[in-house]
Amino acid sequence: MTIDPDGHDLEYQHDDLGGASDERNASLGTYVLGLSLAILLTLASFWVAKTDLIYGPGIPVALATLAVAQMGIHLVFFLHLTTAPDNTNNVLALAFGLLIVGLVVFGSVWIMAHLNYNLMPTQQLMQMQR
Amino acid sequence: MSAAGATISTSDPYRLGSRGPNLARGHGGGGPASKRVVVGYGFWLFLLSDIVIFACLFATYAVLSDATAGGPKARDIFDLQRVAIETACLLASSFFCGIATIAVARRNQILTQAALIATGLLGLAFILLEASEFAALHAQGDGPTRSAFLTAFFTLVGCHGVHVTAGLLWLGTMMAQFYAKGFRPDIGRRFLCFSMFWHFLDIVWVAIFSLVYLVGTRL
Amino acid sequence: MFGKLGWDAIPLGQPIPLIAGAVVMLVLLGILAWVAVKGWLPYFWNEWITSVDHKHIGIMYVLLGLVMLLRGFIDAIMMRSQQALAFHAQGYLPPEHYDQVFSAHGTLMILFGAMPLVIGIMNFVVPLQLGVRDVAFPTLNSVSFWLTATGALLVNISLVVGEFSRVGWLPYPPLSELRYSPGVGVDYYLWAVQISGIGTLLTGINFVTTILKIRAPGMTYLRMPMFCWTALASCLLIIAAFPVLTASLAMLTLDRYLGFHFFTNEAGGNAMMFVNLIWAWGHPEVYILVLPAFGIYSEVISTFSGKPLFGYRSMVAATLFICIVSFCVWLHHFFTMGAGGDVNAVFGIASSIIAVGTGVKMYNWLFTMYGGRIRFATPMLWSLGFMTTFITGGLTGVLLAVPPADFLLHNSMFLVAHFHHVIVGGVVFAVFAALIYWWPKAFGFRLHEGWGKAAFWCALAGFYVTFVPFYIDGVLGMTRRLQHYDVAEWRPWILVSAFGVLILLAGAVCQIVQIIVSITHRNELRDTTGDPWDGRSLEWATPSPPPVFNFAILPQVHDAEAYWDVKRRAREMNGSGLEPHYEAVEMPRNSPTGFVCAFFATIIGFALVWHIWWLMIAGLVGAYATFVVFAWRDVPEYVIPADEVARIDRANRLARQEALHGASAA
Repeated sequence: MTIDPDGHDLEYQHDDLGGASDERNASLGTYVLGLSLAILLTLASFWVAKTDLIYGPGIPVALATLAVAQMGIHLVFFLHLTTAPDNTNNVLALAFGLLIVGLVVFGSVWIMAHLNYNLMPTQQLMQMQR
Repeated sequence: MSAAGATISTSDPYRLGSRGPNLARGHGGGGPASKRVVVGYGFWLFLLSDIVIFACLFATYAVLSDATAGGPKARDIFDLQRVAIETACLLASSFFCGIATIAVARRNQILTQAALIATGLLGLAFILLEASEFAALHAQGDGPTRSAFLTAFFTLVGCHGVHVTAGLLWLGTMMAQFYAKGFRPDIGRRFLCFSMFWHFLDIVWVAIFSLVYLVGTRL
Repeated sequence: MFGKLGWDAIPLGQPIPLIAGAVVMLVLLGILAWVAVKGWLPYFWNEWITSVDHKHIGIMYVLLGLVMLLRGFIDAIMMRSQQALAFHAQGYLPPEHYDQVFSAHGTLMILFGAMPLVIGIMNFVVPLQLGVRDVAFPTLNSVSFWLTATGALLVNISLVVGEFSRVGWLPYPPLSELRYSPGVGVDYYLWAVQISGIGTLLTGINFVTTILKIRAPGMTYLRMPMFCWTALASCLLIIAAFPVLTASLAMLTLDRYLGFHFFTNEAGGNAMMFVNLIWAWGHPEVYILVLPAFGIYSEVISTFSGKPLFGYRSMVAATLFICIVSFCVWLHHFFTMGAGGDVNAVFGIASSIIAVGTGVKMYNWLFTMYGGRIRFATPMLWSLGFMTTFITGGLTGVLLAVPPADFLLHNSMFLVAHFHHVIVGGVVFAVFAALIYWWPKAFGFRLHEGWGKAAFWCALAGFYVTFVPFYIDGVLGMTRRLQHYDVAEWRPWILVSAFGVLILLAGAVCQIVQIIVSITHRNELRDTTGDPWDGRSLEWATPSPPPVFNFAILPQVHDAEAYWDVKRRAREMNGSGLEPHYEAVEMPRNSPTGFVCAFFATIIGFALVWHIWWLMIAGLVGAYATFVVFAWRDVPEYVIPADEVARIDRANRLARQEALHGASAA
């Protein structure tokens, strides 16, 4: 093993088909496990939408939670997003993206809810124009 | 671009739950990363920008979901059976894309082409089902020009469909490239981007079927 | 066959656009003919148009930006003169035309002037400062540039074929919907901005990847130059914000083209949603412009004070703070539109808080200068002008951030004064500082100091004389975008402003003269060492202009201010040390992909504006074919042999050794 002055392990990257790096991640077992978990969560989501066993107003929250869980399954098992240090950039980028998504979606819904409450409905406004 | 020296290893000894030697120090002093890492990261950033586009469409859908203008509401037009089949198709398609990734790593041309064909056919089934849903709604007068709610619905789901269609075009090109040029490193990198794209589309679909279709039938 | 396009699209009845268009076309044809006659076409094609070299792409971006800045400035002159004349009168610009002028002014200045300039400077400087050979995706870089050029081309075509948008630089519905803007103007705007927006997004991805994944060995995150940090923050904002622009404009486009009801008055559309989304992009956009400007000032101030930047870590923290908070303030652009006290309060407080980041930076720049040996070269003058101007402009911004105050001042001339104050004082001054600072690196000779100083003083004086009257008029109640007015109180200030524009014009002339004089006297102004300013970062280690591969050997970085460290050791050892071992270098091949892709994008955009569907499909097929052809190429790189690399580097080392010994002998 060759080490550079900063203590990094140097290795020639000659296989860009994912041979060295992705092999440990891209095993059949990983994908089968991911698929099974995703199927379970999907079935759970459809069940939640149909059932009367869950408190009504809580259903959207339950569905959102199941959706987030399933997205996590996809990220870990299909996209191989891990907590490794050389993956930190990817996780940070994802966190940044999620922050922006949160700000845009929840910010917009909050602002528009206030605007819709305060402003005259457009249809009424247009009728006044006639 | 070649540095006068080596590139950093991209192996990942840190699968969730495992322990391994401490390779990356985290301060970023290792010099330029390998092409596969660079291409993968750049495409990951592109996917995040695509997520923001979908976020805007989701926000617009949330704001406009009550603006039915006398037309149909969500529960009037959503067919959960069709949605379930579409979900199964796309999820299975993602799985076969994973198989294709393994096949490419092993340089197995036949398995690669077979897995990619399966991926493509399942994706095509998804698109055809979605197109039939849109056509049926449009035929009964509930197209995107009927109300703001329908506009937002058609655009959000339709945008995802356009992405899937573009992905199928890309898939066809990848199959042609593997067949014509074999398993060259640059084609391998492109395929990494394609597989990231395909899994990302399934992630967006999870959000769509949960928050648009399933929530819509309950509210 | 040709959709809505007909002979009536050419404005034969309007002298101003007709004459302007004719002059521009004659000038362009003249330049093209001159280049062809001199036999330079192959050179331009091989070295510039198909170039994937970040240095050449950066220079082309800056050229595009400067030309569009000039066109936007002409629009400004038209507006000022119209308002000077239009008191109890109609002036010389009818309303339909005046509306196009102010819409074009804003669109061109921000999207096709400031953005290309800032992106061009990032393109040229960042890889050099990181000590690497090029960006992460060189061909994508070329595509980005040419798509931006396509957008600019479409806006300029609208001058002579059809009309431009009349609804302002942000197309608020319902005015921008088909019912109230049936012409092609808004469509030109939409496609020009969408297409160039794709280019900008790709640039953002390219640079974040480069800065985070491709740096010289030993350059840890906290050893990066400050300009690279601000470029990183700006490009992260591009990745986060430009998709919002894409989505918003796409929704408006769907409304106009397919009869959708996102923002219409009927069938439940909600026009305010557009305002909300477009400003969720629009506010980060101005930080996308100003953050690299801050980075430029950090470089210039530390170099011309002869001191390292004070408080590097707090600068990094402030940059990232501004990056995140800029996504939390967008409602302050529409306080008055009815969201209510709660919402307004939250965004008002956030808007005031974001000033803290800039405050930290200002103090750091001041402390950098304190105790330093300041050289008042032209870039330093621009920086000092920035510091006073931006502080006052920013203060008016904090005033506007208070919702009750904003209720009086929203959309008045006070607002116009504020945003020009910060954009001109912040971004435009930075662009000129950067131009003069890095020009020797790009072209091998310095710019003439005297004319540069004249340009600066005219710009500074002209800026204040033009824009301070706007504050007064705003408080006196004058709204923006007025084609004519009847209030006598406003008139004296409008006249002062018009006079100020003449001073700015003098500044623009001085700037152009500076460039011409410098080119004709370039041998006297030659930069022989590659380090004309006694710089501190790695770009000054290369010859001027740098070879295509930038560095013969990627530098090993041991410290922040990498090049200052190298120079210090060279002076201590009284020489540049042993010659390194040279190896062959692989560089990416030039490619016409960017240019051809943009060619098809222009066709697609033009076809969509005029509803020529078959042409649009042909363009899409062509664009896809371009990508497939590019994907099919077998040899993406070419090799520069080791002795060629050695020859170029030996000349550089010799020049520096001579300078070192000359300095120590003197």
